[in-house]
Amino acid sequence: MANERVICSGCSLLCDDIIIKSDGLYIDEVIGACLKGKERFDQATAKNRILNPLIKKDGELKKVTFDEALEKTLTIIKNSSKPLLYGFSTVNCEAQLKGIELASLINGFIDSNSIICQGKVLNTAKETGLSLTTIAEGINKADLLILWGANAAESIPRLLNKVLFSRGKFRMTGREIKTLIIIDPVKTASFGVMGVRDIALQIETAKDIDLIRVLKEYCCKADGIPDAGVAGIDKDDLKRVLLHLTGTENGIIFIGQGLLKSQNGDNVIKELLELVQLINVKQEKGRISVIMLGGHYNMLGFDHVALSNYGKNHSLQFSNHQLVETPDTIITKIEKDDFDCSIIVGTDPISHFPTQLSKKLMSKPLILIDNKQTATSYVADVIIPSSITGIENGGMVYRIDHIPLNLKKIINPPNNVFSDEEIIKKIIESLE
Amino acid sequence: MAFALDLLQGKVKVDDCTPLLEPKYKKDYDTLKDLLGAEEGKEKELRIDVDNDLCDGCGICVTICPVNARYCPPSLSGKAPDYPPEKHQLFQVKGGKCELLAIEYCRRIEAQGRERECRVCETYCPREAIKIDYV
Repeated sequence: MANERVICSGCSLLCDDIIIKSDGLYIDEVIGACLKGKERFDQATAKNRILNPLIKKDGELKKVTFDEALEKTLTIIKNSSKPLLYGFSTVNCEAQLKGIELASLINGFIDSNSIICQGKVLNTAKETGLSLTTIAEGINKADLLILWGANAAESIPRLLNKVLFSRGKFRMTGREIKTLIIIDPVKTASFGVMGVRDIALQIETAKDIDLIRVLKEYCCKADGIPDAGVAGIDKDDLKRVLLHLTGTENGIIFIGQGLLKSQNGDNVIKELLELVQLINVKQEKGRISVIMLGGHYNMLGFDHVALSNYGKNHSLQFSNHQLVETPDTIITKIEKDDFDCSIIVGTDPISHFPTQLSKKLMSKPLILIDNKQTATSYVADVIIPSSITGIENGGMVYRIDHIPLNLKKIINPPNNVFSDEEIIKKIIESLE
Repeated sequence: MAFALDLLQGKVKVDDCTPLLEPKYKKDYDTLKDLLGAEEGKEKELRIDVDNDLCDGCGICVTICPVNARYCPPSLSGKAPDYPPEKHQLFQVKGGKCELLAIEYCRRIEAQGRERECRVCETYCPREAIKIDYV
């Protein structure tokens, strides 16, 4: 393979224009990918790569064969009555489907990273509705981009390059006609791309909900101008934001992690989605849409796979091989100690979760399917190495704008390690 | 502005600006002379420095550069330009970092009039990794 454009699985933007120089064995050069993407491609030969199955014996991880690791995994699963499956946001959709099948077979509880991330937006959208758009629309048609609680320049480095600076198909100019509004309590690196027409709003911490409520109140009034500022934003800036929101032809609000937490017990996302609906009802020509900025490259995939196959996008509890209703999430399950073993796929909950949850997770047998050393790999009882999706195996993944893409295999995995899908398939076959 | 740019590059001297020689602009004349000092009249070369420690390869410089836009069609829609690079291409992202390829085609050297004042790559770099200077 020489100079072929491939999809990068470094983050949820899944850039499809990366040029790779490879001899089929190694990746020699990566052109066009950001630092995050480059690190992802480097992962194939990284020092922290796990290449052999490991089992914890006498407090230490020892190299074993795949069959031994599989046997140990089966023993743990068979001795368990309430297994917990978590992760699945850095694997392809095929592996996610197999993961849900495994949860169904062993009567377990399965959840993905989206429950503590942008899945909250999808849950809220069940009540309010959701106006979505695609990255291509952003490139070609957008005239207003709002980064709300998001530092896109550092979390998804190429996003602003694509949607803000590109010229697109239908316009002679790009950056000049696109207005950027950044609403954030911290002056992040994203503020560095602002031009003279853009609006930088350094909002007071946890006051986003007040701003949204004011915007909701005034966006429906003809010539409505607020009398005073709100949440540290003066009335002139408020007026400019209102004019942009109500006058845009194709606006996109990028929802970042900063908005996911509730403020004063109220759901900020719900208020924001209601504001979007209000403006869209009032607007005659244009419309506003939202894009959720998630981190892992296939976090949305789990929601789509679970929703299309089981009618529920997260927190699936199986009993007697049937899906049953549960109010629990991964957090409440661990909090209540309502599990007796955990199967973690492609994530690092020991680093992500608070200490008290991590300790509870560590106190029960833990099976890890992953390709790199993490904090979780040091406490796991069984580690089964997997190939890297998007480099050593292909599969379907969902981009941040809910567009399914097919990742290609570029090189062969070292040590003939299996893909996540194959590993879960082998576990299912052995259990059956 | 064209005169100011030439003054900075050392192509002209302060004395070449006849209005500045008038008595009413004496103060401005002296200030300029002080600022330039011994550097006045010394021919300087354009240098674009990319700080690899700061750069995260976002590719904004590749897309925003007007020379890249003219010669590399994929960059119009925010995509990475083709490889090997076109001979006029100024920037490319390789190995997760921005690389400067052909400074001789930069607008600050090639173009005429206001276009020579271009410094979009420096202005819009979110990490402030690009610096344009004359040395």
